[in-house]
Amino acid sequence: MSDAASLSHAVPKQQRIARPERRQARAGIVLFAPAFVLLILILIVPVVVAGILSMTDYTLGRPSIDWVGLRNYVDIFTGSSYRKMIVATVLYVVLVVPASVFLGLGAALLIRSLNVGQSFYKTIYFLPVMASLLAMAIVWEFALHPTLGIVNRTLAMGCGTPLEWWPWFARGCAEGFPLWLGDRDYALYTLAFIGVWQSFGFNMVLYLAGLTSVPSDLYGAASMDGVKSGWERFRLITWPMLGPTTVFVVTITMIRSFQVFDTVEALTHGGPAKSTYVMIYAIYEKGIAQNLVGLGAAITILFLAFVMLISVAQRRFVERKVHYQ
Amino acid sequence: MTYRFSTRQTLAHVVLILGAVIVLLPFYVMISTSLKSPAEIATGTGGVFGSQALFADQTCLTLGGSKADCLVRPVLDNYTKAFTEAPMWRYLLNGVIVTLSIFALQTLVAVPAAYALAKLRFWGRDAAFALVLFCLLIPVHAIALPLYLMLAKLGLTNSYAALILPWTVSAFGIFLMRQFFMTVPDDLIDAARMDGMGEFAIIWRVMLPTAIPALLAFAIFSVVAHWNDYFWPRIVITGDRSLFTPPLGLREFKGDLGGDFYGPMMASATIIAVPLVVAFLLAQRRFIDGITLSGMK
Repeated sequence: MSDAASLSHAVPKQQRIARPERRQARAGIVLFAPAFVLLILILIVPVVVAGILSMTDYTLGRPSIDWVGLRNYVDIFTGSSYRKMIVATVLYVVLVVPASVFLGLGAALLIRSLNVGQSFYKTIYFLPVMASLLAMAIVWEFALHPTLGIVNRTLAMGCGTPLEWWPWFARGCAEGFPLWLGDRDYALYTLAFIGVWQSFGFNMVLYLAGLTSVPSDLYGAASMDGVKSGWERFRLITWPMLGPTTVFVVTITMIRSFQVFDTVEALTHGGPAKSTYVMIYAIYEKGIAQNLVGLGAAITILFLAFVMLISVAQRRFVERKVHYQ
Repeated sequence: MTYRFSTRQTLAHVVLILGAVIVLLPFYVMISTSLKSPAEIATGTGGVFGSQALFADQTCLTLGGSKADCLVRPVLDNYTKAFTEAPMWRYLLNGVIVTLSIFALQTLVAVPAAYALAKLRFWGRDAAFALVLFCLLIPVHAIALPLYLMLAKLGLTNSYAALILPWTVSAFGIFLMRQFFMTVPDDLIDAARMDGMGEFAIIWRVMLPTAIPALLAFAIFSVVAHWNDYFWPRIVITGDRSLFTPPLGLREFKGDLGGDFYGPMMASATIIAVPLVVAFLLAQRRFIDGITLSGMK
């Protein structure tokens, strides 16, 4: 209790001073206890369990359990299908994060510049964030269907027009447009596209919030100093002032895209040729569907290491670099 | 109000409209397809709403019905099938049960803990807060495998408990409510204590009413996340259809049925996506605040 509070109620305080401290301490422990127990059981214990199981050959339902040391980790770093897993995961993240962040920023800047219709666009761009990703993934699959889908049908309408100057388009007209999700060269890019489609509206909203906190007198001061072009204003004021927002947006987009699962499980099952075999899907397939718990646990630990690294890097970055206020 | 023509504004609108077309494309495909007959879907005809001409239902014909008996209206047929080919009501009910239970339990656990962290001095408080901050770093989806094994050992897979238990504690919920409670003046609490209120009464009758906006935002955050969640139900519900949540039900629908079923499948997808989309359109500000809550850290 603060001193000010005890002073303002000085008279009846006398008999309460000793007792309330103790009572508060007890109440605090009692009130935090349920959360404490659950945090330990649901979040901390599983991490420890995964760490231990990752060094065993445990499978669910078998009584014996053998210690295999680091063999599961060695398997991950030497097996070709696991190398594909790391490549697919990293490529997905590298594709989605910049696209989603810059589209979010671009949309926010464009929308802020409008005289009319700001909330109209904001609503539309935010819709994918709200809708069930699994449902929308299934719709995208249908839209990208090689023969029935609206995408290839629309592309086919461009055949015979000057678009055929574009070699890729001409090839599509002659040999058929890509199978998208069924083609190993396109599948991961297609999933990344769906990922960007789903997530950039979220980043847009965060950037819109960030933009409102940029003090407008900075722009006035800049124009007095001779900063005339929109690009210079953006480079000298808007972008640096959005630093904290950007760090946060990049981190959260990264962590989320690392966790991509719905689209992979529903549309590609990690294929074709393991081109979309991302980590969370691998954990699900190895650890749960195939009951290779040791391997699944090792991938879990690797995954946690990735995610923690990103979060810790973000906190470091925020502490060191982003000090504008 | 009139606005003067400006090239810059027009250009911005053009770019944003093009973006909006791509963003809305799957919603259009979903709704439009859910209105069409199989023939229209197969040939890509029928415009936006389909011609709505009667057609003979294939299952009805194979069951020996005469052509006249089997004539159905595409839109009615698709949406009827969404409910008859799969226990859609059950899925929706499960979705409601699971999301509401999760939110109720999260509140019950997080609010007292947040109050303790914000306003009470007790031994280990700093360590407790550090624990919450650490747990913020662990995405529950990442530790799905050990959680699943623990639930399996307890014999709890394929139950409501499996769907709900792992989400009962939200480190983020505790953190958020704690930050909010910090802003509540101590005098308010002291006054309540003077009136003889216990700590528990203070939480529910003094603190919670002041925190309604934060709690509402958290409610939206939580309900949207768990209504749409597919990964966790997929793992813990393996056989029992009566426990399926809406996304699992839709996935099952897709797995079961081949080619001709795009109409009913898109109708199911529409039914699952619609509740949240409508709620969002009605209360946009609150939804945007709630879902971007994680941006407030």
